[in-house]
Amino acid sequence: MPINGNADPAQLTRYAPTMASLDTEALTLPDVKVLQVIYEIDDSVMAELIPPALHPTIPPTMHVIGMRAEDGPLGPFTIAIVRVGCRAAVRPRGLPTRAVCTEGEAATALEERWGFPITVGEPVLRERYDRQSIEVNDGNVTVLSAQLIDPVPIGNGDLLYTAGMHIANVERDGEMKPWLVQVDPEFEVSRADRGSAQIDAFDSGFWDAPELRPVYPIVASYTTANITLPRIRYICDPLQPAISGTVAL
Amino acid sequence: MKFGIFYEISVPRPWENDIEHEVYHRCLEQVRVADEIGFHSVWAVEHHFLEEYSHCSAPELFLTACAMQTKQIRVGHGIVVCVPQFNHPIRAAERAAVLDILSDGRLEFGTGRSATWTELGGMDANPDETKETWDEYTRTIPQMWTNERYGYEGRAFRMPTRAVLPKPYQKPHPPMWVAVSSPGTEIDAAERGMGSLGLTFGGFAEQEEKVDRYRSRIRDCEPAGLFVNERVATVNFLYCHPDNETGIKTGSRLTGSFGYLAAQLLPVREVHPTRSYPNPGLLAATRQQAAQNPGEGVSAPEGVCIGNPDRLVEEIKKWESCGVDQINFLLNALETIPQEEVLDSLRLFGEEVMPHFVDDQPATTSEPRELAATAAAGGD
Repeated sequence: MPINGNADPAQLTRYAPTMASLDTEALTLPDVKVLQVIYEIDDSVMAELIPPALHPTIPPTMHVIGMRAEDGPLGPFTIAIVRVGCRAAVRPRGLPTRAVCTEGEAATALEERWGFPITVGEPVLRERYDRQSIEVNDGNVTVLSAQLIDPVPIGNGDLLYTAGMHIANVERDGEMKPWLVQVDPEFEVSRADRGSAQIDAFDSGFWDAPELRPVYPIVASYTTANITLPRIRYICDPLQPAISGTVAL
Repeated sequence: MKFGIFYEISVPRPWENDIEHEVYHRCLEQVRVADEIGFHSVWAVEHHFLEEYSHCSAPELFLTACAMQTKQIRVGHGIVVCVPQFNHPIRAAERAAVLDILSDGRLEFGTGRSATWTELGGMDANPDETKETWDEYTRTIPQMWTNERYGYEGRAFRMPTRAVLPKPYQKPHPPMWVAVSSPGTEIDAAERGMGSLGLTFGGFAEQEEKVDRYRSRIRDCEPAGLFVNERVATVNFLYCHPDNETGIKTGSRLTGSFGYLAAQLLPVREVHPTRSYPNPGLLAATRQQAAQNPGEGVSAPEGVCIGNPDRLVEEIKKWESCGVDQINFLLNALETIPQEEVLDSLRLFGEEVMPHFVDDQPATTSEPRELAATAAAGGD
């Protein structure tokens, strides 16, 4: 059977938030700019990046995601997310290792209501005619710089965004412990471009995945979309295969 | 109704103790038994890099071995990847012709283009281009087979005039098929006068619609080859057991394992947005079926050929009423079912299911020859 992750969930929870409640109302963010840069990663450590509940994809992948909302119910914000591509049983998923979000209402909501592993910072999403990029600095060090180069329009329906499995501390049956929280936003895309993917800087230590190493670019996309963050419907025990460890709420 | 067997050649980890050698030879044993029973054809995929799911990267060699060990069963490429980074069209034509000769004219030539980033990325092929290259291959390969010399200046490749040798044993050439996994590809098959080689596990209603569209469109086709191969094949699982519940339970292990493995791969559409792949294709289509726990399912989905002979007859009759001409069966995945049970299942199917179905279409090399003669005489 497919390879299972073997990361100790305790090692993946350094930036995991605590979710006081899983009873979250859905929320729509209008006209969000979304940059996604996808790379293949070093396969020798693919199992060490995800917990036993998940399988690495073949080949293993990472997703660098930059999003900027100008307006909406959470106010303006920019966020950068690094995820490891994976499978929860047969479902395509991404496991965030860390996210950096501008300070404000959005950072709090994304962390507390949807379990994003948020650190407050100053990610910068740049939109140019020849490229779009996301950059994150930690002090004077650039810990992430990823770009889409030479954008060309594609169909709004050509894109698939995979749902996230966010590790968060959740109290259940009187016990506080890490769970994988399924976050499957809906994307209503109004404009989409595709281009070459390029990662110029990536500090895997900062992103809480010391072994994660991007090795081969796949593609990048840049879209404008209404994103509906969902109600939480499923959580999964990170130590059990998702096919048996998933709990419907 | 014709019956075939279909091989992905799934090899479970750990890949040690000659497991690949064992699996390949078990497959060959199954093919020999299928030939004795009277199955129409054996098909082999072409896949690369698909860990555990398919270790069948050189199907022309496997099919040659099948042909050498059998007498009647036809050998089918299901499919040749028609993308230059995988197969140069001249080499594809040459290899197919040799296989047709060595098999005494038993080749069925399936064409397709791959649907995973795992493969296309691994071969450094551009997913945007694969529909176009497939189309060029299907037009040019029959010309290479049927003209003494052939030259071509095209988009995917070019060649000065040369004799592409040898020529196929079947005249004018082997029957050609198109892999149909995305909705609408059956139209591509029909417009080119090629067989529709279904590779997804849809239900009866979906299949019936596909067949209707195919039959309707092929009437006005412009054949890519020198004759029309109007046939609709679909893929299915096979586990036949005297006890229905045991058959379904064991068969569900097979279907669950297959779908679970398929889901671990990367469909093009998941990571590389392109209009060339509007649907996730076979791999995603199997996910739904695999959503049940592998090995723990006890219900048989609509149309899946697992259970006792009575149930299989009933399901196959329904496929027949949908207009399907042929069902190709997957027999195992991950070696979930022991070899002896696979062989017992095949034999039971041959004894108690196959006699219920009349094979009313010619199955030998005379088929395309006759069709070609008809076409040459201006008939249809």
